[in-house]
Amino acid sequence: MTISRLAIWAGAAAVALLGNIGLAAAQNVTISIWSGGTGPNDNYRVDAIEMAADILERERAIAGEDLNITVEKKVYPGWDDFKQALTLAAEAGNAPNIVVTGHEDIAPWSQSGLIVPAEDYLNLDAWPINDIYENLMEIASYGGVVYGLPQDAESRPFFFWKPHMKAIGYSDEDLEALPARVQAGEYTLANVLEDAKKMQDAGVVQPGYGFYPRPENGPDYWQFYTSFGGVMEEDGKLVLDKAAMQRFYQFFADAAAAGVTRKNHIGTPTDQWYSEVPSGKVGIWHGGTWHYARYVNQEGLQDFFGNVAFTLIPAGEGGKANTLTHPLVYLLTSGHGEEQTNIAAELIKIASEPRINTLHAIKSAHLGIAHQQSNIDLYSNDRWAREATERLLPHANAMPNNTNFGDYWSAMWKGLESAWTGQKTPEQAVSDVEAELRNSLGEAIVIR
Amino acid sequence: MNGHQKSWPIILVITILSAPLVLAYAYLFVDTVTNSPPGSVVPHEFTLEHWSFLWQTRPGRLSIWRVTLNSLLFATTSAALVVVVSSMAGYVLSRLNVPGRSFFLAGVMMLHAFPAITLIVAIFIVLQMVGLYNSLIGVILVKAAIDMPLGIWLMKGFYDTVPWEIEMAGIQDGASRLTVWRKLVLPQVRPGIFALALFAFLLAWGEFILPQVLAPSGNAQVLSVYLASLIADDNNFDMALFKSVGLFYIAPVLVLFFVFQNYLMNIYGGGTKG
Amino acid sequence: MDAFRDKTERLPASGGAGAAPARRRLGLLDSSRGLGVLLLLPALLLVVLFFLMPVVLTGVFAFTNMNTATGISGGAHQVSPGALRVLGERYEMGELAERLGQPTYVVDERGLAALEEMGIASGIVASLRRSHMDESFTSRREFERVIRALPDRPDTRTVKRISDAFSRSLANARFASSGALVAAAEAIDPDLTAEEKEALAAATYTGWNWTTDNFRRLSSSRDTTRVFFNTLFFVAMTLVFFNIGYAMFLAIATHYMPERPAGIFRIIWFLPRISPVVIYVLLWKWVAWDTGFLNAVLSDFGVRPRNWMLDSATQAWFFVIMINGFVGASMGMLIFASAIKAIPETHFHAASVDGAYRWQQIRHIILPQLKWPILFVTCYQTLSLLTSIEQTLLATDGGPGGATEIWSLWIYHTALNNYAGNLQYGYGAAMALVLVVIGIVLSLIYLRLFNYNALITRPRIEL
Repeated sequence: MTISRLAIWAGAAAVALLGNIGLAAAQNVTISIWSGGTGPNDNYRVDAIEMAADILERERAIAGEDLNITVEKKVYPGWDDFKQALTLAAEAGNAPNIVVTGHEDIAPWSQSGLIVPAEDYLNLDAWPINDIYENLMEIASYGGVVYGLPQDAESRPFFFWKPHMKAIGYSDEDLEALPARVQAGEYTLANVLEDAKKMQDAGVVQPGYGFYPRPENGPDYWQFYTSFGGVMEEDGKLVLDKAAMQRFYQFFADAAAAGVTRKNHIGTPTDQWYSEVPSGKVGIWHGGTWHYARYVNQEGLQDFFGNVAFTLIPAGEGGKANTLTHPLVYLLTSGHGEEQTNIAAELIKIASEPRINTLHAIKSAHLGIAHQQSNIDLYSNDRWAREATERLLPHANAMPNNTNFGDYWSAMWKGLESAWTGQKTPEQAVSDVEAELRNSLGEAIVIR
Repeated sequence: MNGHQKSWPIILVITILSAPLVLAYAYLFVDTVTNSPPGSVVPHEFTLEHWSFLWQTRPGRLSIWRVTLNSLLFATTSAALVVVVSSMAGYVLSRLNVPGRSFFLAGVMMLHAFPAITLIVAIFIVLQMVGLYNSLIGVILVKAAIDMPLGIWLMKGFYDTVPWEIEMAGIQDGASRLTVWRKLVLPQVRPGIFALALFAFLLAWGEFILPQVLAPSGNAQVLSVYLASLIADDNNFDMALFKSVGLFYIAPVLVLFFVFQNYLMNIYGGGTKG
Repeated sequence: MDAFRDKTERLPASGGAGAAPARRRLGLLDSSRGLGVLLLLPALLLVVLFFLMPVVLTGVFAFTNMNTATGISGGAHQVSPGALRVLGERYEMGELAERLGQPTYVVDERGLAALEEMGIASGIVASLRRSHMDESFTSRREFERVIRALPDRPDTRTVKRISDAFSRSLANARFASSGALVAAAEAIDPDLTAEEKEALAAATYTGWNWTTDNFRRLSSSRDTTRVFFNTLFFVAMTLVFFNIGYAMFLAIATHYMPERPAGIFRIIWFLPRISPVVIYVLLWKWVAWDTGFLNAVLSDFGVRPRNWMLDSATQAWFFVIMINGFVGASMGMLIFASAIKAIPETHFHAASVDGAYRWQQIRHIILPQLKWPILFVTCYQTLSLLTSIEQTLLATDGGPGGATEIWSLWIYHTALNNYAGNLQYGYGAAMALVLVVIGIVLSLIYLRLFNYNALITRPRIEL
């Protein structure tokens, strides 16, 4: 007993001493943040941390602490290079303190120990965390542990170029009613191909521009799998629904065969795609809420609502209309000092302040993360945020947080690519995906 | 030679075949200082706007000058390393009697079959172990190591052409082998060393995948990675900008090439002297 | 090219090897052996660091399931829901999983003692003992609410430390070693069997394991065959049409023209080799893109704009082979040209006096002289092409639809660079190992082909 008491005394003395030193000298901390998939409209992903640092410094100053935070920001416009660089840097022990990435990275990165649970550093009942939507907090968790804080939310709509729709016989009322018809399952993916074909036949768009999907891999494509009745995960286990996957592949093979989508569409430079769709060159396409910001801020689309109608992803055979939300999350990485991670945790908490997050939500046309954002004028006055939230968010799914999801995703995309470009028939493609997944995942995936 | 045979048909054929290449390089120059109406290849105005990257640093990117300095450091240091290591090892393989010499020479040939990319994960681990991941020094070492087999091979070829008599004479005069190598043999292969240095410099200057994987973070970025990330960024599709950065990047290469083409074109003739 | 030159020119000379060895005993730097070892040292160091070690490591990785989730540098033991599921399904220890994995927090003497040990303020300990003794909670959040409601509200980090001290399950706990894990498990359930401990340690392990699955996967994957034939096609076509065929055309064509134009064309065709790959491929993209040069020109003739590089698998191959081939052609061009130059002028004169046509000159005089150079270029370029990646990566990135995915690119995509960020180091290493083995076998064959021993002239000064 005496020994432990001694230890306590020594500990207390050390704490007192350290406290004094802390008071005497300014504490300089450098917090680094890397953000993936971040373009010019998304600067508040990292700038919010800077704003938070300013607030935290003031808070600490009032508490009598001289804290000086330097924020080092690094953004990557894409994902492939970002994830490669981050993973290797983490292996080398040089991970940044804070990472902004897709929530699906939580599962593998928590297993490898790259990230630490945010709940180890944060009071989840404190403002503003207690105001964040419950389902988003779940998306930022894995196995019941909150690993990160949601940085944004979004959903991924289908877009229709109104003038072209009118050219093939839609009236303003029809277009007004379209979102509801899509939601009810009356307007399906089959109609999308029909209308795209009509537009091309009418000559309002060039061949291959009737239906002009995302030209690269992305979470978007899971929406189509879901539209055809597919399920990604059930009870924590990945699921491959072969029939749904085949219908989904068939849809894109059909689109290419009918000539409404170019067979070689994949690999079109993304910047070219972004500039073509809001210019009236395209009939129907799909994207994400942030496209609004891109079209209006960067691509010079003057009258978005006059030209573009948006809906859920229409249903296909065997499924329902849906959309996908792919929230990015602030994650804390391991391998830093306790106090540094503590400060990083404070920063992501403060950055989740509704007013700060709203800057990002509106500038980049993502959706808010917290209830109170609807009480902030900037947010509630924004037509896009309001309509997209109401129309889309209630029907949004998310990709599962599952360690093996990356394997599944890569296989799904490879199969789609080969069916789309005509390298394989949809049937062959699905059977190859099945073989690949049996091979690589074994019992970790349910195939049916 | 063979002047009495007509050569113009051949020249015509090869001119047609070369046209696309010449055109592509010609437009590399033209497009950086002009604007063309959409859908046309004939420029209608002169402009310097595409070169603004030289004096305006784009947000979130390093200054082009910093990147250029990195490239310069990377290419010169790695070339120097290749030259030093190869001229030492090449001499041994050409002249000296060390155990395992033939084994080493065969090994050098085989190293060509071990390209960086297949081993890059493992190379990453090695760099990480010695603490050189994400540093310019790390990439320099790897690049030098990868170009070294070719360097040794070329240097051996150059040494092979040096007459033995020179060394014999040196030894007779009582000089050590080290002195003979430094004072008598090295000057003989100077053109070879120069050619190798140039070649290694150009190889490193153009290298992309190694710095991309092994030194991705900002401060060690080199021009190839800078340009590739500019092209890959889907927020700024601007072919004229890409080309201007590209021309800025390739200009030193072209200058070196046109001035020293004789050295470079003889690189594969290693052995037939400089 | 030294290879053939040595073979053809140096062989007779090597007969004189070993002449006049004036033997002297001198210092380390004076002996051929000492100096040789010293001069070789830097090269050896680089070889060991960046060739041998990586090859060995690749060989090791190939037999692991290393990936993003397992990490490279080793693992820990984490009692995640996934691990508990494995414990239940694979080891049929569902009951054990339930017992250890259900979050439980109990306010007991042991925990309070631990708090004192940690130096937590005595007021907190006292009030916990007073108001919450023997209470238990099944959620950390709930328990932490209780802690924060105490009169002396602790700060967030302290709350976490307090709740940790009362945790009586392993739910989501992470341990650095299996020893620590087992010790913690035993603290909860002292009657664990050895079998249970082993299963627990195995199921919760987050790091990589030894496995031969990569090779099983590689041999049964349908991608393997496709990528293999892609690679074969790519190497064969580029080699035959460009690195040898077109290179020979260039060498012979420039031979039959005056010096000045010949020099100009050689310079033009050397450009692709010295141009940095990023800008070189960009030029091709500019030619082929939807808004590129080809379309601008062809649109005047009513051709629909398209991305010529990615329009179809055939076009993609055309561009990939051409882009790689133009780079490769220069090497053959220079080597063949210098070999042709070495042919005595008189041969040609004799032939033309005999009235031989140019074609016959090529067939009977030039081609026979090029036999060794062609063989050399073939060997050297096969190895280069097998492992070439940058041009294809930047041009088509394996597209469209994986049509131009070649082996080296496949490795890169698998092990390092894909959209999902799912880096499979182990599987990628297995792929790399296949390429390394092919490379070694081929180079051994080549060495034999060129009669390697002829390359080694014995040193004539034996010091």
